[in-house]
Amino acid sequence: MPVRVVESNTPAQVSGTDPGIRSPLQPSSLLGAGQAFSGTQNVSNQQKEEAWRVNVQIQGIDLEHGYLCGTMEALNVPMADTPVITFWEGEIVDGKNYTFYTGKWEATREDDMRHWSKFPSFSPLQGQVESDGGRQLDLNNYPYIFMRWKEQYFVNVGTDCGLTIAGFYYVCFSCSDGSISGFYYDPNSSPFQKLELKTVNEGRSGFSFSSYELQ
Amino acid sequence: MPTTSSSAASSSSSSSSSSSGNRQADVFSRLASSDPEVKLKALREVKNQIIGNRTKKLSFLKLGAIPAIASALSDADDSDKCNNILVQSAAALGSFACGFEAGVQAVLDAGVFPHLLRLLTNPDEKVVDAGARSLRMIFQSNQAPNYDFLQEKNMEFLFSLLNSNNENVSGLGASIIAHACGTSIEQQVLLEAGVLEKLVILLDGSLSQREACLESLATVLKNNPVAVSDFVGFESGRYFDSVTELTKDRYPRTRLLSCLFLVVIYNTSPSYFLNMGTKLRLIKTLLELLNDPGQSGDDAALVFSCLIADKEDLQKLAYEANAIKNIVDILKTGSELQPKRLQGLFLSLAELCSKLEDCRCSFLSLEVLDLMIDALRHKSADVRTAACICFRNAARSVKNLSAGRFTSDRIMLPLVQLLHDPSSSVQVAVIGALSNIVLDFSSPKSRFIEYGGLKQLIELSKSMDPNTRCSALRALRNLMFLADNKRKELFYSDIKAQGFASLISDPEPPVQEQALALLRNLVDGCISSIEFVFDGDGLILDAIGRQLRKDPQAQMAIQGMYVLTNVASGTELHKEVVMQQLFPQEKPGSENFVLKFLQSDESQLRSATVWTIINLTSPSSIGAFDRHVKLRNAGIIPQLKNMVNDACLDVKIRIRTVLGQSMSFGEN
Repeated sequence: MPVRVVESNTPAQVSGTDPGIRSPLQPSSLLGAGQAFSGTQNVSNQQKEEAWRVNVQIQGIDLEHGYLCGTMEALNVPMADTPVITFWEGEIVDGKNYTFYTGKWEATREDDMRHWSKFPSFSPLQGQVESDGGRQLDLNNYPYIFMRWKEQYFVNVGTDCGLTIAGFYYVCFSCSDGSISGFYYDPNSSPFQKLELKTVNEGRSGFSFSSYELQ
Repeated sequence: MPTTSSSAASSSSSSSSSSSGNRQADVFSRLASSDPEVKLKALREVKNQIIGNRTKKLSFLKLGAIPAIASALSDADDSDKCNNILVQSAAALGSFACGFEAGVQAVLDAGVFPHLLRLLTNPDEKVVDAGARSLRMIFQSNQAPNYDFLQEKNMEFLFSLLNSNNENVSGLGASIIAHACGTSIEQQVLLEAGVLEKLVILLDGSLSQREACLESLATVLKNNPVAVSDFVGFESGRYFDSVTELTKDRYPRTRLLSCLFLVVIYNTSPSYFLNMGTKLRLIKTLLELLNDPGQSGDDAALVFSCLIADKEDLQKLAYEANAIKNIVDILKTGSELQPKRLQGLFLSLAELCSKLEDCRCSFLSLEVLDLMIDALRHKSADVRTAACICFRNAARSVKNLSAGRFTSDRIMLPLVQLLHDPSSSVQVAVIGALSNIVLDFSSPKSRFIEYGGLKQLIELSKSMDPNTRCSALRALRNLMFLADNKRKELFYSDIKAQGFASLISDPEPPVQEQALALLRNLVDGCISSIEFVFDGDGLILDAIGRQLRKDPQAQMAIQGMYVLTNVASGTELHKEVVMQQLFPQEKPGSENFVLKFLQSDESQLRSATVWTIINLTSPSSIGAFDRHVKLRNAGIIPQLKNMVNDACLDVKIRIRTVLGQSMSFGEN
């Protein structure tokens, strides 16, 4: 159960007296198992403009460990006869399990800041993150969730399909309307390929939620 | 008692088996002999044959050796010339009882217990030793007789044993405590009588005294933080340090028992183990003991699983110390492992996989499925149960579920078959495993359904036992998560509106909760799924409304509100039907449950309730404004305005959505 905290308009600071004890993020209804999102990924390069339709589904989320996972389906991919589905795992930037610094996947701190700063919702946090990595930030009361998503394997095609999953996405999720934006980072691909997704309601007039419980 | 004439045991017998059979039969007549020398020789013969030989023990037991030896013991008087008979018969009986449960049972059935106790007061030290050792074997088994610690004379006797200079006798006293003390009342009585001070002295004694002491201390301190604190405080921690040192002893049994003791301390008062180094040493000692071929190895696995149970930090340390690979290698050695060891190893793997995704992925990458499937078919129910628990925890890996790791025939079929297992602990464990495995994410086709699993779960949802009903419904809920229409129809056709209404109205709240969560999944997905709740003239919706009006537990209410949320995301008709449940005609003026839920301490309930309102007042629908007016008049919109600074971010955001929608109707 969330602890009652005092409301604040600016991104809140965690009490300086207990820097070591961070809690996981609180649940956000639209970032849950079973939620589906749909949109595009801009894969343009210098030669041409191109965008793939993308569907994402969240399959699992474990806030305690800052982990989530799901599938990503890319449609109208020129090299493929069918939609290409990948399975991805995500790291949630919560200050407890993961910070804004990636620390792997060939992403330097400069790469991290370059990408995070492309999200307007990151700007109020930027100063703190640059100075001390965002240690004092109370991300629990911020209406955006930052993540990194890394595709792990192809679900329905072989690795020789001509597509790469070597990179990862910097992702920003808006708690209020469930919209997602992201930037793909891969030193060997076109930079800043943008992912833009919105929640999907399957023809319904409103939001619908399913759930499971792992034993 | 089988008898044979002495001439049949002559050298004319043709085969070695018939001659050994004849010798066996002959020994009975000699056991019953009135000549003490003959009897003594026969006793020695039996004792020498059965020591360390389980097959011989069984064979002699079946021939009725134990009653014969019991008679020899009870017929012998306390005179000196009978001492050898007393010693040898006690030793033989002790040997039968050693590590052989059927032997213990037979020894107790033969009524020797009082005769063995008598030996403890014999003037001859050898007789006392034999009696004490024999009794200790009996008390070390699961069949140990009850010992009434609450009776004063029993306590006096016990303390007389503990005070004895004879190490076997004091060891017996400790063994009685270790194996017969079962309740916290008995623990308390022993502690108040000063048992701790008596026991710690034994730590400085002989090997057998130390071992008995470790076991008995563990029993007496278990779950008793005050007693633990007293022990740790004795002589400024000297005894605690001694026990920690004993984890490096050269005898495996001593190392095992000292680890067991430390695990008890850890689980009772973890604050004495803040040092990472101590934790790691304990883990490594136990891991190393897993390789011991004897009883210490059998026991080490269970002790290890108790140590790491529910403790993520220890599971991580164990994982980093290569525990998973070590255990899997032992399982893969191909040699026949004792059921107790197998159970312990699978439970240890289950605990390792319980919380950490790295552990699960690492475990599953070691090609362990065949091992686990074999264990599902083991003759011991404990092993089958442990294997199911191991499956259940490994299947918490959504990554591996998504990859279809658990959906093949060779896994699914034995698991579904275990739903019919005669052992209830196996059934409970397999429902848990299947609950996770049916989340196959990947494909609409389900082996589980093909093998009759769906029907079986529906049957189990009607069980007399509420836990079984709840578990079965949880598995069904997971099976219906993101299910396609075909699967939903298949399921619904077996349960129907009446069945659902009964489950929603079940007397047990956890059952109600799972039934509603299942329904929530049923009406999610494509919009036509909402029609399920309209079957049977709205029986299901009425049942939900009734339960929500009854001041339900939060968890059940959350699921109920999500059902209403999902239905309210449908057409105008669907939204109106939800409104009818929120504002039933026949109960005007009664306190509206929506208002109650909005004021709940449980943020998820507040959130679920606001979602229902969001969907009912979604501006894209025609009747949204009228519904908004009704909600406003019922005080619901004003209540939401009071909640704009709700402590929970998610609730706050959803309220702002509703109020934003209100503004589009021209509300201030």
